[in-house]
Amino acid sequence: MNNCSQGTKVTARNVNVWYGDNHAIKDVSVDISDRMVTAFIGPSGCGKSTFLRCLNRMNDTIPTCRVEGELCLDGEDIHDARVDPVELRARVGMVFQKPNPFPKSIYENVAYGPRIHGLARSRAELDEIVEKSLRRAALWDEVKDRLQAPGTGLSGGQQQRLCIARAVATGPEVLLMDEPASALDPIATAQIEELIDELGRSIAVVIVTHSMQQAARVSQRTAFFHLGNLVEYGETDQIFTNPADSRTEAYITGRIG
Amino acid sequence: MPEHILSAFDRDLEAIRARVMRMGGLVEEALLNAARALKARDEALAAEVRRGDRAIDALELEINESCARLLALRQPIASDLRTALGVMKIAGNLERVGDYAKNMAKRANVLAQMRPIEGAPGSIKRMAREVHAMLSDALEAFIREDAALAEDVRQRDLEVDQMYNALFREFLTFMMEDPRSITACMHLHFIAKNIERAGDHVTAIAEQVIYVVTGELPGESRPKGNRDVYKVIPEGEL
Ligand SMILES: Nc1ncnc2c1ncn2[C@@H]1O[C@H](COP(=O)(O)OP(=O)(O)OP(=O)(O)O)[C@@H](O)[C@H]1O
Ligand SMILES: [Mg+2]
Repeated sequence: MNNCSQGTKVTARNVNVWYGDNHAIKDVSVDISDRMVTAFIGPSGCGKSTFLRCLNRMNDTIPTCRVEGELCLDGEDIHDARVDPVELRARVGMVFQKPNPFPKSIYENVAYGPRIHGLARSRAELDEIVEKSLRRAALWDEVKDRLQAPGTGLSGGQQQRLCIARAVATGPEVLLMDEPASALDPIATAQIEELIDELGRSIAVVIVTHSMQQAARVSQRTAFFHLGNLVEYGETDQIFTNPADSRTEAYITGRIG
Repeated sequence: MPEHILSAFDRDLEAIRARVMRMGGLVEEALLNAARALKARDEALAAEVRRGDRAIDALELEINESCARLLALRQPIASDLRTALGVMKIAGNLERVGDYAKNMAKRANVLAQMRPIEGAPGSIKRMAREVHAMLSDALEAFIREDAALAEDVRQRDLEVDQMYNALFREFLTFMMEDPRSITACMHLHFIAKNIERAGDHVTAIAEQVIYVVTGELPGESRPKGNRDVYKVIPEGEL
């Protein structure tokens, strides 16, 4: 038995992360609910991406990185020896801060996940998943005539949407999005926010964003990080109208804290 | 509160606050002058109050426009957002108080043509002075971000209500004793009622100050005066 809350999608208990001597996450405990959008906000370098990567064990791939504490998905310890990290990452999908398309075609970028996880029984079904995912990521109209072109040949904002399409294609239970709209124009941003809103009704979505308005628009819960600490975590409405901590207030209102 | 990194944001907020204080100052003056004009039967002063209302209305418009601009360009959140929202409501309430002062000035002109009602203008002036003091404190609470002072203002509205109730009874007595005083007493009664209303608006301003400062609107814990005015007086007692 562990200390994780039952009925919570993702639970973190006393999580600490170090990069060598750099203590990047300090004793963070948080419950992330299912069917809800949770926003992580905070100044650059405060540890948002680091903490996000804890949730699907992406930090395992960074040699200097050490993670301590308890992390559970559906009440089960994700560091348990029986958990296969590759399988975990299919359940807990991720969109990275920097778009990282595979050096493959646009089609293959999206089809790869569903294919290796056996989500399509036929080519037609796979085509369907690819189209639907690209549409949800608001990219379909721009790429439908060049699906075989390399994904790396797209513009920055298009690559970002391609990675979103790739992440939703496998139907994850939790989706971690690290600044998914940072390179997008207002229309694509609105379409991605619409997608986040839709996803948040059926799965747990965690989004890191530097746009306070975006966090306020898309999330129901907000966590404010500062220097590796979780300073405040609560209802988005409350955080953005009447934050409890003066550091949160200073940050969200653009003041020198 | 520390300064914004974007100094233009602070300048915008400061300009809005300064306009609220200017508008508040004009309303304070209108209220006092209207009461003075009534007591001194000074028609020139009453006319000045009536003319001055235009400047008050214009300031309300300016405040609302600068708040709309702030909302659109700066997308304020938390205390900044509360300031913008609170200020718009405060300006609306100040405008109403200004209107009541103007109305009092109009009636002061009419009353100057009539036989004076002993003592009444003095009582009304006292009541206006009380609301004026509440307004001064509410504005002070706004600029100092002092929720405790705003709460004090809120509590004082009870006294104004009691003054109104007393005046109401006084006017009834006058009218019963001398039916020729009815027209004047009706005007005086409207004035008293308007000042009582002005007190409610000042209370609303104090509540907005509390909201801006603390993020919470005060609940229904304000003392309510007695409800004599609404009592049906049996005919035998009249
Ligand atoms: N791969 C890494 N190796 C070493 N240190 C790292 C690594 N990634 C992050 N850090 C350090 O960990 C701390 C937190 O970084 P992190 O990337 O989590 O911040 P962030 O909140 O996501 O910032 P940003 O908003 O700029 O993306 C920083 O001090 C950073 O230098
Ligand atoms: Mg980051």
